[in-house]
Amino acid sequence: MNLDYLWHGFAVALTGQNLLVGLIGCFIGTLVGALPAIGPINGIALLLPIAYSMGLPAESTMILLSAIYCGAEYGGRISSILLNVPGDAGAVMTALDGYPMARQGRAGEALTLSGISSFVGGILGSIGLALFAPVLASLAIGFGPAEYFVLMVFAFATLGSMVGNQPVKTLIGCTLGLMLATVGLDATSGAYRFTFNQPELGDGIEFVVLVIGLFSISEALVILEHQGRGFTVIRELGRMTVRAADVARCTGTMLRSSVIGFVVGVLPGTGASVSSAIAYTTEKRLSDTEDTFGKGDVRGLAAPEAANNATACGAFVPMLTLGIPGSGTTAVMLGALMLYNIQPGPMLLTERPEIVGGLVASLFIGNFLLLLLNLPLVNIFARVLTVPNWLLVPGILVLSIVGVYSSHASVFAIFLMFGIGMAGWLLRKAGFDMAPIILGFVLGHVMEINLRNALAISGGELSILFSSAICIVLWVMAAAVAVLPTILSWRSRRLKVARTARMAATDG
Amino acid sequence: MIRFLTKMVAAAALVAVAAGGTALAQPAKPECLAGAKPGGGFDLTCRLAANALLATKQISQPMAVTYMEGGVGAVAYNHVIAKRAKDGNLITAASSGSALLIAQGKFGQYDENAVRWLGALGADYGVLVVNADSPYKTLKDLVEAYKADPSSFAIAGGGAVGSQDWMKASLLAKAAGQEPKKMHYAALEGGGAVLTALEGGHVQVGSGDAAEMVKHHVAGKVRILAVMAPQRLTGALADVPTAHEQGFDIDWPIWRGYYVGKDVSDADFDWWVKAFEAASKTPEFAKEREERGLFEFTMIGKPFDERVKADVARFKQLAKDAGM
Amino acid sequence: MSDKAGTAHLIGRISALCLFGLAVAYGIGGASIEYAFSSDPLGPRMVPVGLAIILGLLCLLYVRSPGTAEAFPSGRLLWRVLAVPLLLVVCIAIFETVGFAVSIFLLTFGTGLIFGAPLGYAAVGAAGHAALWWFIFSYLLQVYLPTGTLFG
Repeated sequence: MNLDYLWHGFAVALTGQNLLVGLIGCFIGTLVGALPAIGPINGIALLLPIAYSMGLPAESTMILLSAIYCGAEYGGRISSILLNVPGDAGAVMTALDGYPMARQGRAGEALTLSGISSFVGGILGSIGLALFAPVLASLAIGFGPAEYFVLMVFAFATLGSMVGNQPVKTLIGCTLGLMLATVGLDATSGAYRFTFNQPELGDGIEFVVLVIGLFSISEALVILEHQGRGFTVIRELGRMTVRAADVARCTGTMLRSSVIGFVVGVLPGTGASVSSAIAYTTEKRLSDTEDTFGKGDVRGLAAPEAANNATACGAFVPMLTLGIPGSGTTAVMLGALMLYNIQPGPMLLTERPEIVGGLVASLFIGNFLLLLLNLPLVNIFARVLTVPNWLLVPGILVLSIVGVYSSHASVFAIFLMFGIGMAGWLLRKAGFDMAPIILGFVLGHVMEINLRNALAISGGELSILFSSAICIVLWVMAAAVAVLPTILSWRSRRLKVARTARMAATDG
Repeated sequence: MIRFLTKMVAAAALVAVAAGGTALAQPAKPECLAGAKPGGGFDLTCRLAANALLATKQISQPMAVTYMEGGVGAVAYNHVIAKRAKDGNLITAASSGSALLIAQGKFGQYDENAVRWLGALGADYGVLVVNADSPYKTLKDLVEAYKADPSSFAIAGGGAVGSQDWMKASLLAKAAGQEPKKMHYAALEGGGAVLTALEGGHVQVGSGDAAEMVKHHVAGKVRILAVMAPQRLTGALADVPTAHEQGFDIDWPIWRGYYVGKDVSDADFDWWVKAFEAASKTPEFAKEREERGLFEFTMIGKPFDERVKADVARFKQLAKDAGM
Repeated sequence: MSDKAGTAHLIGRISALCLFGLAVAYGIGGASIEYAFSSDPLGPRMVPVGLAIILGLLCLLYVRSPGTAEAFPSGRLLWRVLAVPLLLVVCIAIFETVGFAVSIFLLTFGTGLIFGAPLGYAAVGAAGHAALWWFIFSYLLQVYLPTGTLFG
């Protein structure tokens, strides 16, 4: 494999200007990620016009934007851990174990460990991007509507382990998410569904509106209710170092999750929210023998962080090799390339190696910069969150409002966010978890569209769902993850019985 | 750093004011509203006007581009009508897709007479594409084959039933004497997804726009069978015949234009018309337009207003014909 | 049955009823979606109707095993908890009319007080919020924020 482009790229990325641009991008990205109301896509969309009007060359702009993107995946964990409010979509899962750790006084450890996981995910993702871009591009092309539908079936099958101790409520949450996903223009028939003649609902419920509503508005009320009881925003970071044993326990988790994250990132249309969910549930399934996931298990923290950073890198593969966005954020970056009159596509690597190489090389450099920013200097970012409730909660509300307003410029969207937040608060009171709603929403969109497109292509023949090798492999994998836990628990129970019997025998 | 950047931009604006100094009563705060996310088609349309007007010194300070996503421009349309009908500073991006949605009543209660149509500065054209190793070399081959066995053709486009891409595909079905309703049509998310589906062999025909498909045509990944333009396009597509040349009365221009509020004063409206006319005659403008992959289509003031209204009427008829 | 379990049962039953009502309304809405025709055999109605049936069935299961729930706040805390959404509604409603600075000052001042800040602290904090976020978003990030139609 010819890696000349990469060495050339390092020469581009290591110039003074590009290093400075990368550093600024990393800092802004971490900040944007840490702030719950704005995600990488907002950050990139907001900075792109500035970069362009400054007259930065194309490769510097791409380095700036990719640094913000990766920085946001690092920064998202900070508010997940300290606030229990995901900083961005990819950090939803990080809160599941990160927040309990912080509640136990291990916030500093959680931040450091997730920083390391992010770094591992980011570096492995970058290596994957550099090496496998051409190979994986040919795999991604095999994914048509039928394959995507089965992929979503697989994704739902892996969610089986999320069911937890109140399975009915998890399933209801998933269904509510799927229902919310049906609002808006039906992509196949062009009919408006559940829009109540509001043009604002024409494109459906925006992910940002849903996430901010469910997580930050309802959170503000929960914080208020629990104020007297001492459940507040975590301000004590504790020690900032991690135990070597914890890192060792997480090594396998980080490696597996990085691979999952990277592969999901390569597939167009799926992003960090999906990959972190799959990585978390896979890890829970594989390693959660003592039922510690969700209660502050370091592996539950490492899995989504490694995955979402690897996904950010993986999303560049279809973007750089095929000119197809792998996520909303890379879609904006493709738009940036076109502003520079550069046609993204298969010719990009041969025609403009300094852009592809520079971007890939800057990801390696950026991950080191981000590790530096996020380990010793994490205090600076955490300081944003270490303020008293009466100062912090109004801030959350302002960010929620402005975050929604900045992407929609409409009061209707803010009211929608508020309504979703209140419904979310009521559901939380009734013992519902918010994560299944988000997952149902994210996966539901892709699932319905692809099922119906597959059937439109086949003219109604269901056989199209089993017609390719990818489909069949995915069906088998979906069946395996659905059945495996039952078999494993049955086996472990049998082993336990056998052991007790043996012990009883030796005792006797 | 950002503060520093902002200052740089501000300084640049000041220099521009000093150098420009046009005599006409230009808007104090020129703004272009894009009814979509940054990076989309409306953003591109806005940036064309913003850059071209600034580069040709029609405006002395940069034009702000603002975004209001929703309903493929429907939210922006309703916003301009309800809240900014008098605002002479504001132009809003539109395309023939907006006219199509108005024709289908998908822009809410308002019709095409609720705003003032200012002008169009460029256009793209519809194309039909097949995979590079497809047996069909001309539009005629495709139409013949489609006529023989319509159910073996899956067609993909970047929009739902009734969208521009679906309409283009329905013109193919009609040319083959088939019912558009019965097409095996997959509504994918934009042109990129259509390309992937073609390359992966999941669909046989793609319906899309010339600007988006041209690079993949040149790279040899897909073949554009026909452009839906009145005459051949320039540049890389000069060797691709039009549908008319191949004997089919299929035409699908996608103009990119602008409108202002209904109650904008005639003086303000005329200022915009003059600014557009002056800018559109310069080589700087042609360069800006080509950089955005758009073809020549300049139509400003009254002719554009008539064009929009004729388009809406035509789209209503097409939708009716298709059984919608 | 303990008091706590009784509350959980009651909340469970009420929310199951609400969700069932939602399922019925959603299902009826889904079955009456207007469309000309669809290029796929399922059409836009099938998935919503299916989801409504699934949700309805899940609600039946939910009534049978309501699981755990958290009691609603009472007394003064209830009023404080209800004051937050009320304040939010007012401030969102006047957001574009009075502009970012005024509505955000009101919101942050009010929530500051609800969260137990002394009057002076809340006022200073609210002024700080309004100024800081205006600076970050409007000046640094150049996000459009309303200045208020009241003031021209």
